[in-house]
Amino acid sequence: MSGLSESLHRILEIDGARTVTLVDVGTGMIVDSVGEEPAGLPAAAASLADEARMASAAAGPERSGGDLEEMLVVTPDRVHLLKVLSRTQDEGFMLFVDVDRARTNAALAAMRVAQFAPAVLR
Amino acid sequence: MDIPRSEPAGAGDDSSVPPGPGQLEPMLVSIARLGTSGLLRVTGEPGGVIHLADGRITAISTPGAPDPEAILLRSDRVPEGGWSSAFAAAASDGRMAAELVKRDLIGAGELEALLRTGLADALFALVAGSVQECRLEEVATPALLPLDPGAEAEWLLAEVERRLGVLAGLRTPVSPDRDRLTAVQGAWTPRVGPGDGQAEILALANGRRTARDMAFVLGRGVFAVTLQLSRMCDAGLLVIGSSRSAVRAAGLRAVSAETAPPGPADAAGSGGAPPLPRRRRGGGQAGARPAEKASVLRMLRTGVRREPSGG
Repeated sequence: MSGLSESLHRILEIDGARTVTLVDVGTGMIVDSVGEEPAGLPAAAASLADEARMASAAAGPERSGGDLEEMLVVTPDRVHLLKVLSRTQDEGFMLFVDVDRARTNAALAAMRVAQFAPAVLR
Repeated sequence: MDIPRSEPAGAGDDSSVPPGPGQLEPMLVSIARLGTSGLLRVTGEPGGVIHLADGRITAISTPGAPDPEAILLRSDRVPEGGWSSAFAAAASDGRMAAELVKRDLIGAGELEALLRTGLADALFALVAGSVQECRLEEVATPALLPLDPGAEAEWLLAEVERRLGVLAGLRTPVSPDRDRLTAVQGAWTPRVGPGDGQAEILALANGRRTARDMAFVLGRGVFAVTLQLSRMCDAGLLVIGSSRSAVRAAGLRAVSAETAPPGPADAAGSGGAPPLPRRRRGGGQAGARPAEKASVLRMLRTGVRREPSGG
């Protein structure tokens, strides 16, 4: 197993985590993924990369809020966490974590992902 | 599909097969299933060399996409001085990746991620181009920065297929290796803020560079730059100015021809077109010299940019 996969597996141990995916923001490519692989994951990753890019356009170092760090999408069943790991020019990497809402608290999951995230690219 | 097998290393008996358009993909899948190690030399436009280990793809070298060295150095992820020191210490015995990480020049995870995206970009360039012949050589020729463990061919090919589909669906199709982009004077305003890469691209969009050329200069992936160019065309910041002479590139040509409106690019043809950058030993390209990037950055710092539109 690669070092990258090992890092993603640590995040997968968070309560309720179903899928942990590293996405290339510039292309929408799934760089690596662990856990469940639902059909349509590549298309979802590309779509999430677009959303992150658009959200970044509304943020940035010259805005009062600063750069985009993470996004949280909550549905009745799921919590989708997007955590930006690195960003240069129009690209970078972000984590996408699909969490079962019934098995965790969204804020707690976000905090746990934030704790593990810096180690992914190290 | 039977893969022509060469004799073991040292026998000097390589095998080749003219695969024809679209045959590189099934060939790679078959090689993966056989667990072959060695080199797959692909001739054509752009052509390249695929490094294989136990059926997995560990590295691809092609003039169609920046290699890891170009991506790491020209994107300023790794400083030139640090790279040179690591190269001197470890390149000869295949420890370059470990040395870069050991010297804290880049994280192991980020390097692995960049190698994986770089492989996808290089295979995208190969598959989208034209393939004349593939030659399998069962020899061990290590790459400078191999992905270890290598990537599964089917996984990479699925990503390439996705990319071709994305290109086909673009509102403004841009051919990565043909269309030359020109900045629209007065259209740009830094509303997205620094770091989005638009200013760097506008400084390079002089009507002579393709997405591929810009990718080499910036140390970015060809596909990522192509997508950004398309978005910038949509926003009215760039126009496709002219087009390189057509090579037989089944994938992208088909993609562009179906959806692209006839434009000045096709009308202009390739007359008088400057040659594309050529690779030079040491990882550089004539069109992607650090000095060129430095001049772009200098221009940006000194405020030589398009007049803001006021928005």
